Amino acid sequence: MKGKLWLVAALGAFMLVGLTQSNLSGKLIYNSNQSDPKPKAFDAKIVELFKKKYPNIQVEFNTVDHETFQNTSIRTYLASDNPPDVLTWFAGNRMRAFSSKGLAADITSVWKDNGWEKVYPKGFQNLSKDASGKYVFVPVNYYWWAVYYRKDIFKKLGLSEPKTWTEFLSTCDALNKAGITPIVNAAKETWPQGGWFDFLDMRTNGPAFHKDLTDGKIPYTDPRVKKVFANWKQLLDHKCLLENAASYTWQDAANLMIQGKGAMMLIGDFIRDQYPADRAAAELDFFRFPIIDPKLPIGEEAPTDGYFLPAKAKNLANAKAFLSFIGSKEVQEMGVTELGRLAPRTDVNPSVYAGKPWIEKGLKEIIGPADDILQFYDRDTVPEMARIGMDGFVKFLSDPGQIDQILADLESARKRIFSQPQ
Amino acid sequence: MQSAKTTPRSNRGSRMTTNLQQFFWLLVFLGLPLLLYGLWVIYPTIRTFTLAFTNYDGLSPARWIGWANFKELFQTEAFRLALWHNLIWILIFITIPTSAGLALAMVLNQGVRFDRFLKIAFYLPLVLAPVVTAMVWGWIYHPQQGLLNTVLVEILRFVKLLGFKVDPESARQIGWLGDPRLALLSVIAAAVWRQVGYVMVLYLAGLKTLDSEVLEAAKVDGAEGFNLFRYMIFPMLAPVTTIVVVISIVDSLRSFDLVNVMTLGGPFSTSEVLANYMVLTAFHDYRQGYAAAVAVILFLITFVFTLIYLRQVMAQEERRS
Repeated sequence: MKGKLWLVAALGAFMLVGLTQSNLSGKLIYNSNQSDPKPKAFDAKIVELFKKKYPNIQVEFNTVDHETFQNTSIRTYLASDNPPDVLTWFAGNRMRAFSSKGLAADITSVWKDNGWEKVYPKGFQNLSKDASGKYVFVPVNYYWWAVYYRKDIFKKLGLSEPKTWTEFLSTCDALNKAGITPIVNAAKETWPQGGWFDFLDMRTNGPAFHKDLTDGKIPYTDPRVKKVFANWKQLLDHKCLLENAASYTWQDAANLMIQGKGAMMLIGDFIRDQYPADRAAAELDFFRFPIIDPKLPIGEEAPTDGYFLPAKAKNLANAKAFLSFIGSKEVQEMGVTELGRLAPRTDVNPSVYAGKPWIEKGLKEIIGPADDILQFYDRDTVPEMARIGMDGFVKFLSDPGQIDQILADLESARKRIFSQPQ
Repeated sequence: MQSAKTTPRSNRGSRMTTNLQQFFWLLVFLGLPLLLYGLWVIYPTIRTFTLAFTNYDGLSPARWIGWANFKELFQTEAFRLALWHNLIWILIFITIPTSAGLALAMVLNQGVRFDRFLKIAFYLPLVLAPVVTAMVWGWIYHPQQGLLNTVLVEILRFVKLLGFKVDPESARQIGWLGDPRLALLSVIAAAVWRQVGYVMVLYLAGLKTLDSEVLEAAKVDGAEGFNLFRYMIFPMLAPVTTIVVVISIVDSLRSFDLVNVMTLGGPFSTSEVLANYMVLTAFHDYRQGYAAAVAVILFLITFVFTLIYLRQVMAQEERRS
């Protein structure tokens, strides 16, 4: 009798464990592009927590250098019949390129079962759907772009955050007079110039126009596009921008700002990863990209990263469990506290933002007032157009007189690229 | 083959078995390498040629589009620039590192002091992985903190001390890799640095094979100094020179690593070369078909020079045997 009781107790305990820890088992292959030190450590931690929650799932976790991941690996994965189960990826055109070819698994059930439509803002819901309205993506973090600046230098020179274009230009003049490069600008990798083009176009012609342009619906030779470059040229005329931008990576340029040789930089919030942590509070601040035409709606850039499942993934159930975990409140809150990034969920505990005053400022001054949120030039348009376009922007910086020729070249590229079936 | 001729032809049966045996061993020794060669070289080459006529993007099924990729290639400025830059690269490579390498080899072959150390020092860049070379030169060229501009600043400082009106810090404005006029030459300079040691070693090996009796005879006849080099040594080195030139050309066409790491072909294609353009279009733009067309062009150009090289090497082998 005693022996049987033991058996019942053991069985009961076993079932209890099973119930609390779920009954999923088998494999889960997760390939991540989070290869920078801080995000990589965080990624590993998340995987450990997931393993604790689902001890019966064998997780195979691989990190691939992010450039390699987005340039080559992702296509290899998706073309294979045996792809990884979970992949990191980007919202916008980059996600649409795959979902439109039926390469992303339908994860509407993950969204519905977790009730995410109540806690993710509309903008993020729309970003996560394919053309037919099925969910294919889970956004987990985003960051805004803004003009970052050295507030200690501004204070010493008696400057304040410029709100308008004229104020922006006179800030440049004042900094030049003080012998400081107003804006450190990086173009060795061309993408920072994509940011400049996005903002200048959104402020000159509005975000709706810019979306149509990146969707390939508007010719680059349109006079409104030329106006963008006329504004850009004003920055050059006022010597706002670091010369020889093409010699500098964004880290090089940020270093110039850290050394106090430059005062401003148009960049994403990830500049915090580069800025010395002990000095950031006293020196690093940001403001919204100055308004050029006050009649236009305000567009901002907030590239959004997240996850999707390849349509051919072998362990779909486990992968969906992983997505539910990744998109959960607890994990998103951890992302805020540990990486200082923003959670797309609206129900995260406000206390996780405590001690990070810049997040409050960013939500209030950048994201809050934004009428439209875009991804980024190289995420909103097709890769080839992005490469040729950003090359053109760098060429403009080096030789502004060539602008008509440059725009004509971009236009012939647009015509060719967007006439092909995507 | 040698054994076939010497096999005694006593009766047909044993000859057949020998032939069969020979064939068997041929198959054993050549089969595996041929199989691997077919798998890793022949098959991908054929695949690339067929891919070049499609619009394959790495994901969707490929569609045959005829010559469209090649037509587009020659209408694209980036491709024409890349082709032109490869040509410049070749011209520089067959002149500067070859003559510098030859000069070094001549000097070091005389048995100067520390010649062993010097040989190693000049050869060392070749031991480094090209990516490492590229990164190190990237740092040297860095406008603000780079070695090159820092040296220039110091020189200008000295010039200023002499009383000239110059601003030493202005040297930090020079963006070696960022200036469209300098980028290509700066990358090639790094490549030349790497190539000189290679050429030197080839010529050193060549110099060792020269017939010393002939040279002695020439000296007895009064040839010395530059004349000895111009009329005796250089002509005797001709086979080596052909190989050096062909290797330099092929190396120029292969140039990829330095460009990819140092400039990625930028700013705006001013340092683009064919190999890098191919990689960009294949793995950034996701146009594998178009990239294959670039590869085909690159292959055809390289093939011509490789043929010349192989002919030269084979002719040499025959002369030796």
